Parts: sequence; C-alpha cells; structure tokens
Amino acid sequence: MTGQTATAVDPLQTTGRASRVRAPDVREPVLDLAGITKSFGALTALSEAALEVHAGEVLCLLGENGAGKSTLCNLIYGVFRPTGGEMRLGGAAYAPADPKAALEAGVGMVHQHFSVVPSMTVVDNLLLGRSRGILHRRLFAEEIRARAAEFGLEVDPWRVVKDMSVGERQRLEIVKCLMRRPRLLLLDEPTAVLPPEEIGSFLDVCRRIADGGGALILVTHKLAEVAKIADRTAILRAGRIVDTVPMASADMKAIVQAMIGRELGGATVAVGLDLAEHAEAAETDELPASAEASGKIPAATKSRPPDVLQIDALTYRDRNGAVRLDEITVEVRPGKILGIAGVEGNGQSELGLILAGLERPSAGRWFVGDREMTRASPAEITAAGVGIVPEDRHAVGAVVEMSVAENLCLQNLAQYTRFGLVRRGAMTAAAKDLIARYDVRGAGPETRFASLSGGNQQKVVLARELTLDPLVLLVAAQPTRGLDVGAVETVYGHIRSACGRGAGVLLISSELDELIAVSDRIAVIYRGRIVGEMPATQKNREAIGALMSGHAA
Amino acid sequence: MNLETLAVYIASTLHFALPLMLAASGELVSEAAGVLNLSLEGMMLFAAFFSVWGTSVTGDPWIGLLWGIASGIVFAILQAVLSVRLRANQLVVGIGLNILALGATTFLNREIFGALSRQLVPGFGHLHIPGLSTLPLLGPSLFQQDLVVYVGLALIVAIWFVLRFTAYGVACRAVGDDPRSADWAGISVTRVRSIAILVTGAMAGVAGTLISVGDIRTFTEGMTNGAGYLAIAAIIFGGWRLWPTVGACLLFGGAMALQFQFSAATSPVPTAALLMLPYVLALLSVAGLVGRQVPPAALTIPFFGSR
Repeated sequence: MTGQTATAVDPLQTTGRASRVRAPDVREPVLDLAGITKSFGALTALSEAALEVHAGEVLCLLGENGAGKSTLCNLIYGVFRPTGGEMRLGGAAYAPADPKAALEAGVGMVHQHFSVVPSMTVVDNLLLGRSRGILHRRLFAEEIRARAAEFGLEVDPWRVVKDMSVGERQRLEIVKCLMRRPRLLLLDEPTAVLPPEEIGSFLDVCRRIADGGGALILVTHKLAEVAKIADRTAILRAGRIVDTVPMASADMKAIVQAMIGRELGGATVAVGLDLAEHAEAAETDELPASAEASGKIPAATKSRPPDVLQIDALTYRDRNGAVRLDEITVEVRPGKILGIAGVEGNGQSELGLILAGLERPSAGRWFVGDREMTRASPAEITAAGVGIVPEDRHAVGAVVEMSVAENLCLQNLAQYTRFGLVRRGAMTAAAKDLIARYDVRGAGPETRFASLSGGNQQKVVLARELTLDPLVLLVAAQPTRGLDVGAVETVYGHIRSACGRGAGVLLISSELDELIAVSDRIAVIYRGRIVGEMPATQKNREAIGALMSGHAA
Repeated sequence: MNLETLAVYIASTLHFALPLMLAASGELVSEAAGVLNLSLEGMMLFAAFFSVWGTSVTGDPWIGLLWGIASGIVFAILQAVLSVRLRANQLVVGIGLNILALGATTFLNREIFGALSRQLVPGFGHLHIPGLSTLPLLGPSLFQQDLVVYVGLALIVAIWFVLRFTAYGVACRAVGDDPRSADWAGISVTRVRSIAILVTGAMAGVAGTLISVGDIRTFTEGMTNGAGYLAIAAIIFGGWRLWPTVGACLLFGGAMALQFQFSAATSPVPTAALLMLPYVLALLSVAGLVGRQVPPAALTIPFFGSR
C-alpha cells in the first residue's frame, strides 16, 4: 500500500510551470535508490546500488549481459523485492509489493518483451487492468487518441495488435504506459526489436516525454543511442554501479571500458557505437587480425574449391500459401563470410529454418559442398558439418531446462556414450573445457541453461556448433541479438576464427553495421528476394541500406 | 417427417442440447482464461446428485438447484486450488476429479437412497408464455419448457455479456492468451482464473441439475454419461467462441435426438449406431476436420508468475 502515498502529482501536466528547466540536481529526485542489494540464493545480482533519477531527464543504464540492469528495473517495478537497501519515490518511501503497486505509484515499464496481448484490440489492451465492471470502449478510445497525440504519436484504438508492425507495437507499449501518466518510465531495451529507421523516432518520443517533465530510465546496449538521448549514464558491472557520468562530459571509449572493465578491439567498439567513421578506421588500419582477416586470407589455391553452400532458386511458401522466399540464389565460399542483410521479417527466419532442416522448401535446391541437402533431416545436416546458430536460442537452440553440459554435448551424444550409457564424467570434462574456451560466465557444467544470461546462453550454443568436426559451414541467424558489446566481440571473434579454419559462414543479421564490419560480401533480402549482393565495405553502406528498405539500387 | 414429429424433434434437440449449452458456455469462461477443466464431467455429476438430494430433503426443486450449483462450485474450488494455486497439471487434475466424482456420488447415492432406489423428486414447473406457447409447430417445443430452461438460457446470455463487455471478460482473454502481459498490467492471473473456474462450476451445477431433477427427476450412477466431455468438444467445435459453441451443442443435441426419432419410426440404421453419432461428430471436430481453430495461447499452461 506504500504505493498509494504517491499518486497525486502528474508531472506531465506540470510542463509549463516547472520542468522545462533542466537543472535537475537541485531538485528532489523522482527516484532515489540507496544501497539496493538483491540476491537470488547464493548469487548476488545487485549489490549496494545507488542511483538518482530526476524529472525531465533521461538516464541511460548501460552494462553487459548479467550485469544486473534488468534486475534493477524489475526491483523498481515491483517484480522483485530488494534483499536490502531503500527506495524513495518522489520523496516518500517506496517498496512496491507487485507491479500493480508500482503502477499505482506512478511507475511505468516497457519490457524487453512485448507486454500487449496479440489477439486483442489496442483499446482492450490498454483497458486491461485499468477498468472495472462494464467497459466504455468508445470513451477510452478517444482518450487513447488524445493522449497519444500529445506526444505526436498516432494510434488506431480499434486495430488488433497482431496485425501491427513491430515498431507500431513498441509505440503502443509506450502509449500504454503514458495512459497512466507515470512520473517515472522504465524502458528495458526497447530498441532491441526495432528496425534501424524506427529507432530515431522512438528516441524522439523519449525526449518529448522527458521534456514534458517525466523521468526516464533507458536500458540499452547501443552506445549510439546513449550518445543521442542520455542526459546521464549509469554504468553497471557485475551487479555494481561503477560510474554515473553526465553526458556533456562523456567519453564513449571510457564508458565502454567502465562497462566491461577492459579494453576492446577497435572494430567492435565501432560496431557498438554504430559510428561509421570508427568502422572505417577499423577497416583500414590497426586491425588486420579481425574484420580484415576472416575473408582476406587468400583462398590458398587458384583451382577453385567447391562452394561450401550453394542455394539454387530456393522458394518457400508458408501454410497459407504466401511466398516467403522467392527464388533465393546465393553461394558461400570456404573461409568467407556472406552476410544476409535485411529488416526482420523479410524471409530471414524462413531461410534459417530451411537450412536447419526444420522446413522443406517448396521449390529449388540447396547443397553443402557437393551434397544435396534439400530434403535432408536436421541430423543429416549436422552430420554434413553444418553448424546452426538459430535465431531463437530458447525454442530451437537449446533445451533450456537441461544443464549446460547436457546442452553442449547434445549434438554428438554418441561420443559420450558407451554401451548405451551416458558417460557423465567425460561429458562434464568436455563441458568444462568448452566453458573456459568460450568464456561462458557464471556457469559450471551442471548449471541450468535457462539460468544463464542471454549472452552466455549464446556462447554455449556457439561453442557447441563451432566444435562440430569437421565444421564446413556455419549458419548464424541474428547471433548477437540482445547481446552487449563485450559479448558481441566474443561471438564474432569465434565466428571469424572458424572462418580462419576454412569454414564458410552465412551470417543473417539485421544489424547492418555489424554485418559490414565482419562480412566479406553482403546479400540483401527484401520481401523474400535477394535484391542485391555487393562487397561489405563502408562505401556500400548507403546502397545496402537503400536495398534493405526496398529502394532498388 | 411431418410437422408434428418435426416439432417433437426440435423440442427433444433442445432438451438434449441445453445441459451441454450451459456446461459448455460455463467451461468457455475457464478456457478463455487458460484453464481446461476436464473435471467438467465430474462437476455435472456432483451437481446431478446433490440437486436430487437437496430436492428430496426440502421438497423444493429450486432449493435443489441451489444445492446443485453449490456442489458444482465446491467441486470447482478443488479444481481451482489444485490447478491454479498449486499449478498441478490440469489434465491430470481433471481426470482425477472425475474419478472422484463418480466414486463419491455412487457411494452417497447407495448410502442415502439405496442402490436400487428409483425414488422420484418433485420437478420444475412449466412456464406457459401466453401467446407464444400456443404457436403452431414452435410453440410447444420452444415455449412450453420447464421454467429452469429459461433461467439457463438467460445465464448463457449473461456469460456472453460478461465476456464481451466487461473488464473481467477482457481480463479473461488476456490471461488466457498472454498471462505474462496480463500480470504486468496489474491483473492477478491466479484470481481471474480461479473466478473463471468457479463460474464454470456454477454453470455445470445448473447443467447437472437439468440432467437429474430437470429431466428424469432421480439420480442414477454415472448419469452424466460423458456430457461434460461433449461440452468440451463443443467448445473446440465452436472455435472458442460462444455462439458457435452453443450451435455445436445444438448439433450434438440434434444427433442425440435423432436416435429417438428413428427408433420411433422404422429405423434404417441400428439405433445403437446413432448413439455414437454425437461422439463421432465431436471426434471429427477435435481432429480439426471441421476447420482448425486457434485455442487461447496459454490454455492448460499453469502460470508461474513473472518473478
């Protein structure tokens, strides 16, 4: 019930009077955290965190996976309760028992995953939990329109959510929060799901909310966003807030260092920064070992070895008969990385499923080396030396309820069995070795896969796929989604070294800058067709971007 | 088939369909909220017995109806505690409760009435709607039913209204489709689901009472005879929408009524084969041969909370 002490003030309506002035430090903070600690059993996710957020400011929360960012948000939103420490909201003690109490106290949260029900209309979604008895949909629909318009957003209250695009859903999430006129808005990696062209307008909305006197905490991995939007940045590392810097005086490299506690290779910083000039620099000098190396290792002999992957006019229609892939033709050379660029939902998922043997193409064929795999089962594909890093590591990449060791050895279980019995000892030893080599943190062989953070889960999947022997081809779909800069570097490091050993890589990603940094060539997929293919250089960046958005070059 | 037999056929279709309609529309509330009550059969059987007992004790079938509803709710509480609060597997809980219901009602029936008793209890009175009940053809079949029939129909309309136009209805759908989002929106998944199961129990109570007190005015062991499962099949048939579900119940009821129609006249098909018909229809619908429908995404999945 503590939540209810703090409901009255609506910061968004006080715009005119007070909060235009952004001199927050002299005023009482909206949210004040002191000595916040949270433990889960033996694991301390957050220790002694102290943080202040003021009205009218955007505070960015940076940190690697597992650093405690989501935990911190969930504490503020009442999903967890802190083990120790004190929270104050608008000057009053604040200890929400559940999200409902947090909402009542004026704290809104946009989650990493969508929190709107796909089968319902916008108006029903926004009414959810806000209304009792008989619904007044029409009245509320007008309220939604009006509220959204205040922030320059357009929403059709009568649309069903599942018909909306990802960007529209994300905006709906924001509007959903704004309906309650929150004094503090938590945004947990909201841009992770957005296509590049939507991110800008999304950040504009954040700015407008802050200018209206709201306080925002934005969790993100993307340093470019931090540079664009943050007033201050708090950096979390291993459960501690290691630094809080005002952006006016911020140095990006210093921030990255504070975040991961060490220095990064230049190329990856550039990738994280999304800043073209850095990427260019990385490409031309200082880093022959990374971006350059993978592809430009001379294909030893002049007599051309066969392509590791040949896709020949592959077409795929889904159950409803809609064409998802339209005569895709690409080839991957040994030791090379071919990037497939495209905004999500243009057929990448379907391509990934076909190459994993989980769907059958409607027409066309594909080959690994000179073996046709068009109708091969997943087991046959694995046996042919194809490693698959699937888009959805939870559903397809791993059995989340099993241990790390079991997941690591799943693919070549035969190697760890004798007389039909599993040799646990050998399995554990192999797992220990892989965990060390692939820098999987916070895990032993017996740790449940599900309890790892996203980046570490991805490392486990990668470790398993890359240790296939022989590894002929690696198909990696969105391998860095949701990963932080440090993990992105590790993931690409491993992919490159697989390339160095002669494997070909098909890299499907919607992060254009990453693709340019690591690929040799980039093919662009748009509405199920390959609309262009060109060398992966900064010079081609604009052309590729245009192709991705459907403008023929 | 002449008009007179058609009128009889319509009346008996409605007669067989109504308990299914009540049970199915009640169960639909639970399923919309993501809980599958296989124990629907047991709830109905429980209510069938307790309504007879209540009527026999008090001499008033309306008080018997209240007993029936109450026993359905008590049974539903068991289901709710086990499957929602304790998050046990819904199918296992349902099967277990059905076996319990069969055993408990058989035992109580033999203790209270004796195994061979065919003691009749007072039934519900008829309602004659002036003007309508004397209509040719439809009059006797639709407008000379037991009063309790109209109560039942009113309840179905009430359920439609709640699901469509109230905050609780929206909460039900949210909890059944995406419980995590509902939880984040401040909805108590446990509470919404528990209430839905109680509604199912109450509706199953009315349905069970109709089968015993409202029909043959006595209790026989295992007398629901799969009606609960048929109601669940009707929901699948109806694609988790209320009116199509009610339509499916009428279809099943029509199939049941057919066997009496044919046995009365000279039947071209063995009547025992006709007994099978509603179940065959149900099987076809469950197999998705009558158009595949999308169930609520979280149906039968317990919610473990977002924490």
